[in-house]
Amino acid sequence: MTVADFFRDVGDCVRTFLEHRELAQPGRGVDHADPGDVARTRRTVAAIHPDQMTLRVVEVIRTSPTSRSFRFERTDGELPPFRAGQYISLQCSIGDVRTARPYTISSPPGSSLLEITVRDRADGFVAPFLLQRIEPGDELVSSGPLGHFHHEPLIDGDDLVFLAGGCGITPFTSIIREQQQLGWPLRVTLLYGCRTPGAIIHGDELRALARHSERFHCAMVFSDADPGFEGPTGFIDAAMIRREVDRLDGRTWYLCGPPPMLRYCRDTLSSLGIPPERIRQELSGPPADIADAEGWPVDLSPDEEFTAEIDGRSFPVTAGESLLCALERHGVVVPNQCRSGECSACRTRLLSGNVFTAPPDGRREADAASGFIHACDSYPLSDVQLGLG
Amino acid sequence: MGSGYDVVVIGAGLGGLSAAAVLARKGRSVLCLERNSVPGGYAGSFVRGRYEFEIGLHELSGMGTAAEPGPLHQIFDELGMLDELEFCEIPEVFRSIFPGIDITLPVGWEAYEHTLCEAFPHERRGIHAFVGRCHALQREVRFFSDLNLLDGPPSPAQVLQLPWKSRYIARFGQVSFASVLERDIEDPRLRAVICQLWGYVGQPPSRASFLLLGACLGAYVGYGPRYVKGRSASLAMAYARGIERLGGELRLGCGVERVLVEGGRATGVITDHGEEITAGAVISNLDPSSTCRDLLGVDQVPDRYWRRLQQCSVGPSSFNVYMGLARTPAQLGLDEHEVFVNSNLDLESQYIECRDLPDLFDPSPPSSPCVSLTCYNKADPDISPPGTSILMLTTLMFGHHWHDVPPQDYVQVKNRVAGAMLDRVETEFPGLRDAAEVLEVSTPVTNMRYAHQVDGAVYGYEQLPFNSTVYRLPHEGPLRGLYFAGAFTSPGGGFELAITSGYLTAIKAARSLPRRAGG
Repeated sequence: MTVADFFRDVGDCVRTFLEHRELAQPGRGVDHADPGDVARTRRTVAAIHPDQMTLRVVEVIRTSPTSRSFRFERTDGELPPFRAGQYISLQCSIGDVRTARPYTISSPPGSSLLEITVRDRADGFVAPFLLQRIEPGDELVSSGPLGHFHHEPLIDGDDLVFLAGGCGITPFTSIIREQQQLGWPLRVTLLYGCRTPGAIIHGDELRALARHSERFHCAMVFSDADPGFEGPTGFIDAAMIRREVDRLDGRTWYLCGPPPMLRYCRDTLSSLGIPPERIRQELSGPPADIADAEGWPVDLSPDEEFTAEIDGRSFPVTAGESLLCALERHGVVVPNQCRSGECSACRTRLLSGNVFTAPPDGRREADAASGFIHACDSYPLSDVQLGLG
Repeated sequence: MGSGYDVVVIGAGLGGLSAAAVLARKGRSVLCLERNSVPGGYAGSFVRGRYEFEIGLHELSGMGTAAEPGPLHQIFDELGMLDELEFCEIPEVFRSIFPGIDITLPVGWEAYEHTLCEAFPHERRGIHAFVGRCHALQREVRFFSDLNLLDGPPSPAQVLQLPWKSRYIARFGQVSFASVLERDIEDPRLRAVICQLWGYVGQPPSRASFLLLGACLGAYVGYGPRYVKGRSASLAMAYARGIERLGGELRLGCGVERVLVEGGRATGVITDHGEEITAGAVISNLDPSSTCRDLLGVDQVPDRYWRRLQQCSVGPSSFNVYMGLARTPAQLGLDEHEVFVNSNLDLESQYIECRDLPDLFDPSPPSSPCVSLTCYNKADPDISPPGTSILMLTTLMFGHHWHDVPPQDYVQVKNRVAGAMLDRVETEFPGLRDAAEVLEVSTPVTNMRYAHQVDGAVYGYEQLPFNSTVYRLPHEGPLRGLYFAGAFTSPGGGFELAITSGYLTAIKAARSLPRRAGG
């Protein structure tokens, strides 16, 4: 270092020091003299992504012989923004069991009330509780809006085809209602498959909307209709798609429904030459029968009993029931949201034993490598020891 | 101490994990509490369909090799984590596209100097002088990382060497990067190319010390950037396993409501489950502003500490677009791991724009002064299914603008900014949108939501010369027994520095505790 260098360094140090005040700009970002300013971060997050919402039932509407729509108002704040197609995770205490279910919001963004639609299921646990016990005035707790199945204007274009099966119609109801309010900036074709005409949800409303807009076309098909039924029967298949969708390329395809329907439609779209980047698929929840899942060990009966151990407690579990449901049934509270293997809220440590992970495996690579499972899509194949947190 | 711990760490971001692991390694009983269901903070990943996206890591600096270990290599080695981690080498530092220049900077000082000289032959002498200074800085930082403070204070011989070994650090700690660069380099294009990595510290050359930006350049050019196999979530999980292997505890899904204070000393925490946990010391990985306001309460914090914080303006947050594409990198024309796409040569104005300009209510598309495009398949070809690729577009943006966005406009504003970034990048790499199968956008609000740091700052407080590296807000908090670890305190932000911060905090906290019996 030369003498000149030395003086230059000193000079530059002094210069930086003199600029000190100017550079600092206190109050840019946060003004610490006003501690309330730090709280803005919390307020902003709470307004856009609330962890929790308290919802009071305002109205229960019959939407089909087996389903009801619940309309809620939020009692602990404004309704947060959401995207048509997203869901809430609704918490319920039924007996000693604390559980939650994801329900798609079927109301459009911007409405003052939040609507979900629940279908009764013979083998259901939460749905019958909601349908039989919940009345206007009751309060329930839910998560904020969650999920990634929605129209994404950045990459999805404005020409959409929806393939819905059964109660998989709900996200599309929200999108279609929003389109109706906005004057149909998107062009939408909806193919809706149900078992019977009586099982259609929001059927009259959808048909009426289709009659009144050139930008919305709706076609329905029934797989289990009575012998005398005169309308279209069968599944959403290649023939129906060719018949009802005027142009296959340049459109984005959205799939929501039960797992077998999703698999079938996905294969049909591939066979029609639709590339993967044009297909969006909603998470599908647990399979109706895990023994049908790809990779299930054929020699193992879903009724096989094992023992699960957690926090020093142990109880019997069966191979055919997800560990999340088994834990909840024994009074263990497990955080959960999507219950379809992807969101990682029910991330649990597998300390010993083996489980079957229902495909697709939504775990992070680092979690799978470190012995973590998602309890919602894990089924015991042996006695298991689990750890929470 | 009863049922308490030697130390409770609030938050399992990189700073918190690093501090907890070091304390456990020193034989202290330590409990690390994390509100989220996964550890790591910005070191993490998320799954969408058949893609798993990296959250925050672009390139890891300061790793080096076993033969030429960088500071991070030393830390991971001391904690016994190296066997569990696999690193992917990235062949270049990055590619930089400015109007009129397109240059890919290689790893290694000689190759770096050579490439710059080829492109700017008229600046040969200046380049040599400049590279010499940066290289010298890197050697000095290396001296400090070789001290191995974990096993005790430096030896008298090392202490005697300190003044000589830290002469560049002393010289350049308070001098702006721009003023040193001006001595050596004339060509504004070359200045822009050299300063491109300002995005990795969040301050442009006039507002960053030569020590900070020069050492950062050293950590990337000298050691070569790395990516972590299995994404940065693997790094967080290696820490989590390391903490437990060394006898510490990590509890997830458990936030902290308050820090307990007795007689002017932090004595433990109350969790959001209402549990009271006592400890000899508390280390907060939450930013000092939020810790003081939310966990301590305004009255518990001495006025002088509020005044100290008053000098700390909050630094930039980030805005990211994550894309899973049904095309290979070759089909997309991507040959590098990290590409910076700049709209102009003036990095100072890029900073001003991300700080002041984004008028989020303006219906016209915002300009994107600089967008980085990271293609992770170049570092790790197996990161996404065959025939696909994973991209991340990033731009820096101050978080405080987002407090003013009405919730009902949030989606629209976020998509407008993301759209402008895509437009910018697609001028160089067309066809990204058409090939996208999955797209996810994260804003400063997303950062606030998951990391809980004030204004979603990713590099902590602004890393100005008097508030960066050794001059940064110290680890010691406003009360005895309370420490801070992470990007907000010395030495600063980014993966390498946040880990270093946790490491140094833990050593200080351990020193403040009574000696362990038999230890």
